[in-house]
Amino acid sequence: MQPIRLTVNGDKHEVTVDPRDLLVYVIRERIGLTGTNVGCLTGDCGACTVTLDGRTAKSCSVLAVTADGSEIRTIEGLASPAGLDPVQEAFWKENGFQCGYCLPGMLLATRELLDEDPDPAEEDITRTIDGNLCRCTGYTTILRAVRTAARRAQHRDERPERP
Amino acid sequence: MKTPSATRTTFDYRAPEDLDGLADALGTARGAVSVLGGGTMLVPDISHGTAQPDTVVDLARTGLSGLRRADGEVVVGAMTTYRDLLTTAPAPVPLLRRLAAGVTGGPQIRNRGTVGGSAAFANPSSDVPAALLALRARMRLLSPDGVREVPASDFYTGPFATVRRDDEALIEITLPDPGAASFGYVKFKLSVGSWPIVTATAVAESGGGLRVAVGGAGRVPVAVMLTEPADPADPEWLAHIRERVESELDSVGTWTDELAEGTYRRRIAGTIAARSVAALRGDDERR
Ligand SMILES: Cc1cc2nc3c(=O)[nH]c(=O)nc-3n(C[C@@H](O)[C@@H](O)[C@H](O)COP(=O)(O)OP(=O)(O)OC[C@H]3O[C@@H](n4cnc5c(N)ncnc54)[C@H](O)[C@@H]3O)c2cc1C
Ligand code: FES
Ligand code: FES
Repeated sequence: MQPIRLTVNGDKHEVTVDPRDLLVYVIRERIGLTGTNVGCLTGDCGACTVTLDGRTAKSCSVLAVTADGSEIRTIEGLASPAGLDPVQEAFWKENGFQCGYCLPGMLLATRELLDEDPDPAEEDITRTIDGNLCRCTGYTTILRAVRTAARRAQHRDERPERP
Repeated sequence: MKTPSATRTTFDYRAPEDLDGLADALGTARGAVSVLGGGTMLVPDISHGTAQPDTVVDLARTGLSGLRRADGEVVVGAMTTYRDLLTTAPAPVPLLRRLAAGVTGGPQIRNRGTVGGSAAFANPSSDVPAALLALRARMRLLSPDGVREVPASDFYTGPFATVRRDDEALIEITLPDPGAASFGYVKFKLSVGSWPIVTATAVAESGGGLRVAVGGAGRVPVAVMLTEPADPADPEWLAHIRERVESELDSVGTWTDELAEGTYRRRIAGTIAARSVAALRGDDERR
């Protein structure tokens, strides 16, 4: 067992972990944030996606000890006190989910894409969500939601600034 | 729901912070050692019991990432991620950039999966190994005894098998600076998200040599040097390249898994190789 330090959604945590503990396990069972889902444990489904030092990662494929010292953002950290993130709003508006199991991964992957490129090409959109499997929607509404989020990101200047 | 941990039995964990620390960790590790790169393959394998290390040596803190030029060579750190290949500008090896763009699994995999991990894993279906043959890469291995270099063409000994010893880690991959070489990269797969069935890399060096490497078809990647002028539209040339590729595959044995039989891979390998040569000239954009 060894102590590790993680900053999760801005909060500092010190947890004692076994080297075999997966990051997703520590986030869910030790820190208690269950918005990050577990699907396949093979790296295929993307339900366990979090942001690790600013980059999305599948937290079933990262040992918690490797993440020692990292800044993590989970789905619980996407909205601000002022309200939903524009990406969340777009998924809401476009019905970009049904059961919602894939949703945390879809949202964080979309957020990363738009942070890098507010005006992504269609090909970049599909390449961004291709590591996130959805078993409900057939992806059409998800793709629409990402496009809507991108459109909103571009017109952000025309809307009142979020605090 | 109870979230699963990784495995029933635990392991020792070492996270060296430099090469001396790495050599020491490799030399003093207990039992079966797994070197951990980005973890995109190894961590799930540990979860599912397919890998059962006694010690995990994590490269995350060794600073082995990034591409640099040195003495007419390009040095690729083992921990260089697909994302690093995509974002390093200008790309010292445009072929690797092109390859990284086609890696599936989403940005999460491209952010963490490493060139060293793919090279060391020796999965016949992976993109990196055959491309390294085409680029005439050398693999730099570190052990407690020091560093040795092995050409990529001698590195692979079978599916998921290389000459790397258990007390060695792949630390760097060096390539002759490709300079103005042009390249073509084509992969044939059954669906967008599937593993490639056959990959082909063509590298035309400015000096005139044309090297084509084929991955996925053989138990190890194979390469052929072509000196004749290449004309992918000429049926005779096509027959020639097929014959060359097939004879290489016959000498190493073909690769069969649940996605495709070796006989099928062998049958299409020459065609995919020819397409990679066509892609050199930009007349074939198919992946
Ligand atoms: C959803 C998904 C999609 C994928 N799509 C593709 C694809 O399109 N193309 C493709 O080629 N691959 C693909 N992959 C495989 C991808 O994970 C590997 O290509 C990746 O690069 C492995 O790197 P890693 O650093 O994560 O390796 P790890 O998981 O860390 O290690 C893999 C193996 O190599 C060993 N190892 C790692 N680094 C070293 C080193 N430096 N020295 C010695 N041994 C080492 C480990 O012990 C382990 O056996 C995909 C994987 C997933 C999960
Ligand atoms: S649970 Fe991590 S990718 Fe499916
Ligand atoms: S909404 Fe159910 S898996 Fe995507």
